[in-house]
Amino acid sequence: MPINKCKPFNSYVGITDLKQIASKEDKVLVMNILGNESRKVTPVSHVYSEGNVVAGVQYGRPGVMKTAIGDIPVYSRLADAVAKHDFNTGVIYLPPAAVYHAVAELLHYNKKLKKIIIVTEKLSVKDQVQIRAIAQANSVDVFGANSLGVADAWNHVRIGGGLGGDKPEELLMKGSVAIHSNSGNFSTTITEYLKTQGFGVTTLVSSGKDTIIQYPVAEFLYAAQNDARTKAVVLYIEPGGFYEKIALDMIKEGKYHFTKPIIACVTGHWKAKLSRAVGHAGALAGSNDDAASKEQWFKDFLNVDVFDPENTDTVSEKGALVNSIQQIPLAMKAVFDKRRMQLDFEPKGDLKLKAWFGNDFDWQLPGNLKQAVGKAISPYDEEIERVNKALGAVFLRQNMRNASGASTLDPKTHIAELHGKKVTELAQNSYEENIFFALAKIPPKKQDIRLINNILNHLSQVPEGYFNLIKQAEKNKATPNQALMTVLALNPDNDKITYARQTIQNFIQLYIDLNLRDLSQEIDWQKFKDTIKTVFNFKNGQTHIDKWNDFLNHKSNALSLIKYITANYEVKDGDTFIIAGILFHLFLPALVKKKISQDTIADTYDYFNRIALISILSTTDFDSNDYIKSHIAGRTAPAQSFTETIFKAVFNYEPDTVSLKEFSTLAGITLTNGPGTISAKGAKESVSAGNQIATAFMGFLANTGLSHGGNGFVGIRYLLNAFGSQQDFNPATKNIDVEKIAEQAASNFGKAKNEAKAKGTSYERIPGINHPVFKGKPVNTDPREDYIYKQFSEAGIRNVFWDFYKALVHALKRQKITKNVYAVNIDAVIAAISLKLMWRLYRQNKVDEKAMQKIGFNLFLLGRTIGVAAEIDDHRNRGLPMDTRTPVSETRFVM
Amino acid sequence: MRITGMRYGAPILKLAGFPVPEVLHSNATYESIEKLIEKRGKVVVKPIFYGGVGKKGKAGLVKIVDNVQDAMAAKRQLFFVEHQFHNEKVIANGVTFEEFIPSEYEIYFNLNVSTVSRRPEFTLSIDGGIDIEELPPGKIISKSFDPLTGLKNYHIIDALAELNAPQELVSALVRHLPKLWELYNDYGFITLELNPIRVERKNGRLHAIACDYKGMLDQDNPLTDRLNLPPEIFETNLSEFEIEVNQLRTYQGQSDVAVINPEGTITSFMFGGGANSAATEILSEKTTISSDFGGNPPYEKMYHIARIVYKYWLEQSNVLLIIGGKANNTDIFVTYKAIFDALRDYYKTHPKKDLYVVSGRGGPNLIKGFAYARDILESLEIPYKFFGYDSSMIEVIQYAVDIDNWMIQNNNKTKHHAYQ
Repeated sequence: MPINKCKPFNSYVGITDLKQIASKEDKVLVMNILGNESRKVTPVSHVYSEGNVVAGVQYGRPGVMKTAIGDIPVYSRLADAVAKHDFNTGVIYLPPAAVYHAVAELLHYNKKLKKIIIVTEKLSVKDQVQIRAIAQANSVDVFGANSLGVADAWNHVRIGGGLGGDKPEELLMKGSVAIHSNSGNFSTTITEYLKTQGFGVTTLVSSGKDTIIQYPVAEFLYAAQNDARTKAVVLYIEPGGFYEKIALDMIKEGKYHFTKPIIACVTGHWKAKLSRAVGHAGALAGSNDDAASKEQWFKDFLNVDVFDPENTDTVSEKGALVNSIQQIPLAMKAVFDKRRMQLDFEPKGDLKLKAWFGNDFDWQLPGNLKQAVGKAISPYDEEIERVNKALGAVFLRQNMRNASGASTLDPKTHIAELHGKKVTELAQNSYEENIFFALAKIPPKKQDIRLINNILNHLSQVPEGYFNLIKQAEKNKATPNQALMTVLALNPDNDKITYARQTIQNFIQLYIDLNLRDLSQEIDWQKFKDTIKTVFNFKNGQTHIDKWNDFLNHKSNALSLIKYITANYEVKDGDTFIIAGILFHLFLPALVKKKISQDTIADTYDYFNRIALISILSTTDFDSNDYIKSHIAGRTAPAQSFTETIFKAVFNYEPDTVSLKEFSTLAGITLTNGPGTISAKGAKESVSAGNQIATAFMGFLANTGLSHGGNGFVGIRYLLNAFGSQQDFNPATKNIDVEKIAEQAASNFGKAKNEAKAKGTSYERIPGINHPVFKGKPVNTDPREDYIYKQFSEAGIRNVFWDFYKALVHALKRQKITKNVYAVNIDAVIAAISLKLMWRLYRQNKVDEKAMQKIGFNLFLLGRTIGVAAEIDDHRNRGLPMDTRTPVSETRFVM
Repeated sequence: MRITGMRYGAPILKLAGFPVPEVLHSNATYESIEKLIEKRGKVVVKPIFYGGVGKKGKAGLVKIVDNVQDAMAAKRQLFFVEHQFHNEKVIANGVTFEEFIPSEYEIYFNLNVSTVSRRPEFTLSIDGGIDIEELPPGKIISKSFDPLTGLKNYHIIDALAELNAPQELVSALVRHLPKLWELYNDYGFITLELNPIRVERKNGRLHAIACDYKGMLDQDNPLTDRLNLPPEIFETNLSEFEIEVNQLRTYQGQSDVAVINPEGTITSFMFGGGANSAATEILSEKTTISSDFGGNPPYEKMYHIARIVYKYWLEQSNVLLIIGGKANNTDIFVTYKAIFDALRDYYKTHPKKDLYVVSGRGGPNLIKGFAYARDILESLEIPYKFFGYDSSMIEVIQYAVDIDNWMIQNNNKTKHHAYQ
């Protein structure tokens, strides 16, 4: 195709003056306008340029792009956009493989097109060359690829990429210098640097640094000469290509005049040592377009050596050659001085080192390296002050489908972890300690445990009607999870929860305002009475807090604040206010350590409330449980261990320390099994759908059932059958021969198996033995079982059911029923501990099979509720709306 | 992505129907080598170098022998031969036995993209077989052509005329040279060079046969996949570290890395081509790696890169430098969160040693990013200084160098009790 050659060039060059590069006359269309990059950049450019984007194209996804000055229409194909809008500039944000096609499409449909700006990086050289060819044939100027676009401070226009980031008006101060840069980032950085010597800018061109530079130096200098606003130019140059030489040769040969000073910055000398391209497409060893060659071109042209600020001979009226960008402003100033030209404005700032953040800890740096932290430039100083005051962690929002920042499951050991702690370790903690840990991510302080118990006991004093609801649901054959949901459904975010959340937020605000981080610091709250009053909006008066008095005596300024407030103000719903205050006291260390977010601490009342409710409603038979009746009436010891309270709810007898340990171990090991379990997924999906915390707990409960959580009884039933008529023993002593029972059980199983095989029917497997991972060795163990067994043995805790299981796997091998000694797995541990705890009730005929099933299911729910609370909180902090949705591509239709 | 030699060159050239000699590999039997010698009376033995390694002939690494014993001796000599090429010492990885082509002419031919014409260009000489830099003007010619229509017969005819080539060469070359454009254009080449093409007289007619091959493929061009080349032939000149990072290339954003000094004491994350150039130059031999992670990489990519960088380089480093100008697009919070999350995770499994963190940066979410990094470094008790974009980037890099020098001088005894 013939090319419309424009003198003095041997090719088409439409731009004759820099002010045409990004002007108010330009009307822009953006391809892939709703893509990741453009979505952020285009609205800013559009607003800065006072509305220069007339339309966008998003293949197959028409719509609009919202901006502060109105919507930009988005079409699904270019032909539709061309039919409705006039534009002379196309911007391309498509993936590399689609860019050449888009250029062809723009040229095909829009005969009025004058400019194309390609932001996309990693274009193939083949596409670069072909783009050049077809753009030339159609008389269109191209910028890029791999360009950050173009901008003009005088015209107040930015097109293409994000020069100046999200604040172009801050960067682009009107002045007299035009910049052509191989580095997009440096077009911005050099602009900032120039201000320090009093220079603003005219036009910025981020040329890209692909093999083919579509708008190179020769074309740029020609247009700069014709631009009356531009008094000097900066060229930022990297190795590779002869573009600068072509420009300088054209000027030397008189093909066009160039009379303005050039500050050329050539970098990348180190690249000459490499034998392959690195970073921006660069010259390789042995080529004569490396940094040294490029420097030589400019030395010859400018008739100077490399710039030395101390030596005025290193600048000429034609300009200067620098080898680092920090020298650009100084060199420019020196050239301006030489030419007696005026600065654009008073210099702004300097380039000296200014540390904005720093801490040397106990390192003793010498004086010259100390670099004290100073005040940052505006508006960053205010932001730094804000973040310095900020409390708590900030999490990055992302798709949290099948992901968790709370739990993991080690694929090798199959041991689940919560906040980096193995469940086997957590199993050594009390129930209340684990509740706190799940939310705080750090263990509670010893002296705080009674406060935690107090809150949980208080919040578990629920109306008796709730137990009736459970009873009614059970009568209607509801499973335990289903019954619990009925009560949760009746308890959405009520005023109490909202008030508690607001109260905790007020505490946070007060600590931020007073810049307090340390609970142990003694504070005379009277001094801050005005701030307190403003933050909390209290009326003067008094609040009675008698029953809490004993609990507010720790050395903690948060607790003393509660006392101060209740002594001086009339606080509505004193109990809730005090609990919220105590929760603030409990969780503040985790907030200060940035383990948790402000949202999490504000939600702690909600979480404690739900966990306390689910826990107390695990009561096996409310009608016969006098202890729980007096508990909900507020007649039990407020600081009693919550583990004990719930133990009594489930088993209705006074536990000894061994029973309590067994009970909390059960809760500990079932805390979590990683984010992939369906119980965790139920909660996470509910959060993802935008539900309240209570509903997310219902999502968890809805995802448990007879196969997940409710199957614990299978192991118990197996044990009961195996021990048969032998019921007159204490499972904690050695008065029964477990070896013999195990031999018999193994033999029974062997017989049943052989018979079934002979008949070709199926047979029932023994629950609690074997493991998909821990298998294949002569003797196999499940590390979780092994760990807890050793813990218990060391503490002198014996369990004949567990011992039976350990004997059984050996008996099976001895009788050649199994090839090796199977592992006793964690289900066996749960069955053995559960049955031991129920044994007394069973022997006294206080529980039937149904009640034992309920207890088994509830024991699972008690532990898992804690782990799920952590999962809910994690998803609320990190997730995105609807992020658990399965992409259509992963769904399938089955016949 | 460069390939030299006929081991892979011959099958590639066959794709375009360009004549090549018979090539046997290292594992060729005595009998097959003997047969190859019988064909022409001689055989050419050459070492195989992975990557783009040239000037073998000049270094005396090409042996022409006429019997199997000598061929095997040459094989032993060349199999793991060392060769200094530019700044690199490369080691051979086998040999080829190539059919000897007797020739009256040796032709040089090259296809590439010219940054002067910004079009594809071919270079031709009928005085090939030697370093083309040694040829006087008039003996070699370069011509650009339209990429949309491609290399045509008349381009070759005209060039040969300008070189005053003998008429008998015209038909031999015009028949095959334009085929190379199809290969070049359809398989994602950046340069394709045959030197020499030997021209053999058979039955009175001349036949061109490519006797050595050099090609550079465009890693950004998916057409290169059509060659189905084993990846290891490109990766041998890359370090394990580089290979591991390159696997993340498909994500958005740059991830160009190169090992500068495996013994370096400063490890740097550089953002943007400019920062990459500036930092690598100033850090020089101090830096373990040169990198460019600009282009707004997503969290996952940046996290994995940081994880890999720490795995390879952190233990030996005194200073961790994160350097870039004022970013336009790159979200500083996202990148810093990834870099410092990975640092926190690194120290979960590695012992702490003295490290100083220096950073200079600007851009969207700068303070949020700095504050996030600060919190992690405070919790790890690692000393640090973060500079805003109002500090010169060069000064910040120099500061990292000064800290490193001071740590080395003090034999890394940085704590108060050791340094006065």
